[in-house]
Amino acid sequence: MLELRINGFGGQGSVTLAHLLAQAALENGQQGQALPFFGVERRGAPVRAAVRMSPTTIHAHSQCELPGYVVVMSEKLMDDAVSEGILKDGAVIVNAPYAVSVPAHPTWQIDADAIAREAGLFSADGPFINIPLFGAVCRVLDIPQHIMEQTITNKWPGKRGESNLSAANRAYENVKKIS
Amino acid sequence: MKAAKAKVIMDTGAHAAALAVKSARVDVVPGYPITPQTSIMEAVAQMIESGELDARFIPVEGEHSAMAAAVAASAAGARVFTATSSNGLLYMHEVLHMAAGGRLPIVMCNVNRGIFAPWTLWADHQDSFSQRDTGWIQYHCSSNQEVFNTILQAYRVAEQINIPVMVNFDGFAISHCLMPLTLPPQDRIDIFLPPHEPEWRLDPAHPSSFANVTNAAEYAPFRQMLSEDIMSAFPLVKKAAKEYKKATGMWDGDTIDTYLLEDAEVVVVAVNSMAAELRLSVDILRAKGIKAGLLRIRLYLPFPTDDIVKALPKNALVCVLDRNYNFGHSGGILASELKSALFGLRSDIIIRNRVVGIGGIDLTRRFMAEEIVSMMGEKKRRRA
Repeated sequence: MLELRINGFGGQGSVTLAHLLAQAALENGQQGQALPFFGVERRGAPVRAAVRMSPTTIHAHSQCELPGYVVVMSEKLMDDAVSEGILKDGAVIVNAPYAVSVPAHPTWQIDADAIAREAGLFSADGPFINIPLFGAVCRVLDIPQHIMEQTITNKWPGKRGESNLSAANRAYENVKKIS
Repeated sequence: MKAAKAKVIMDTGAHAAALAVKSARVDVVPGYPITPQTSIMEAVAQMIESGELDARFIPVEGEHSAMAAAVAASAAGARVFTATSSNGLLYMHEVLHMAAGGRLPIVMCNVNRGIFAPWTLWADHQDSFSQRDTGWIQYHCSSNQEVFNTILQAYRVAEQINIPVMVNFDGFAISHCLMPLTLPPQDRIDIFLPPHEPEWRLDPAHPSSFANVTNAAEYAPFRQMLSEDIMSAFPLVKKAAKEYKKATGMWDGDTIDTYLLEDAEVVVVAVNSMAAELRLSVDILRAKGIKAGLLRIRLYLPFPTDDIVKALPKNALVCVLDRNYNFGHSGGILASELKSALFGLRSDIIIRNRVVGIGGIDLTRRFMAEEIVSMMGEKKRRRA
């Protein structure tokens, strides 16, 4: 069973990212689970979500305390996110404008803010970084690109899906392994 | 005509409940919001508004009224659903007795949440267990799919013996958890759950009174009948589970559900989502060479004493993990129930008990495996 935790700030779209990943698992012929942690919701407060993928039925219903992958929605959260728990050889996928790495953990970096803005995915509150991060995470998890695309077009058929699709593809093709 | 096939979607436990309500073709839904149940009512209200579900939605000003409206609609012969959580369930308390005593086959979801005070939003089982003596049948579910399946089975049971049924599952861990959900074809469900045809109903065309004042000689037989009929739910619960399996191919257990129990020396007993996670704890313990097994209580009321007595392996050490307190006793309610059920029947069994996960404290497979190892090391021996 693959376990992944998303650490982000409220308003960054962590719940939608978790849902997309669980849906992609199903499209990919696996079982998927998205289990966001809901608190008293506040924009800007630290939030987390658990995602699981497995070829067999998923029985776990806890948050991921020791995941194999940690997705950090902002490099500002890096230290907190990693110290919250990760497997010894677990990988980190971070949204950062520059190359950052975590000692002793394979680290992948993607500039999701820039990709989202270029694709026109932003509002007054900021860019929709969860879409490029979805593309980047799919690539790191070896989920085929067409499965990723299918997941997006199923959720957003038509025009709205197009910019999401281009941002996710851009991230899928550009996520970099730093260490 | 080609037979319709089951459909697999991704959805939350709360939406699984709403989809089951739609599949059950309910007639009336009184509703009042409370976290984390609200997502069920939102989804059902939307289905009714869009015409997807041909039912009457009754918005009310509180849970006491929600259950009162459910009682009235059920007495008028409607198939009724409502849902609540935590203090909402407690606010219904008086009317829960009315529903059971009035012999009204209402089905309600309670999305388990800890009780005020202080406030908490997250799951424990104080709310449902504290309604033990209201005369409702109670299921506790450990997956989204089981929530869907059990709501349909609950109507089947309720309408055969005219007793209301509460379907419980954890807030957030199930209600807001997105998982694959298999939706059986509607024609299979319609065969399993035929339309509700009550033997009696309130009808303005044929005026009659209902739940009137009684003398002791009339009152006592009503209460005795309720007590006896609740006990007669066992075969109906089993039959409903079997028939549901025949109709849909899906099985969640009947009164209990077990995992690696046959040769177990250490048996964990629990309910709800933590009991699903406990399968993984059992795997961890088995990998360490400990012969662990799981007995999940699915039907909490009536309490499945016979099935538990039969299922527990000889000389087992039973570790009960309670997500609630039995105030006035040490430990939790499930352990007290189990001790009382096994007393004099299984003197070979040792029972140990801990309270964990109150107010939604995360119950991971590793933590619970460690708890069980620690319980195995306890010196005190207490036989059932």
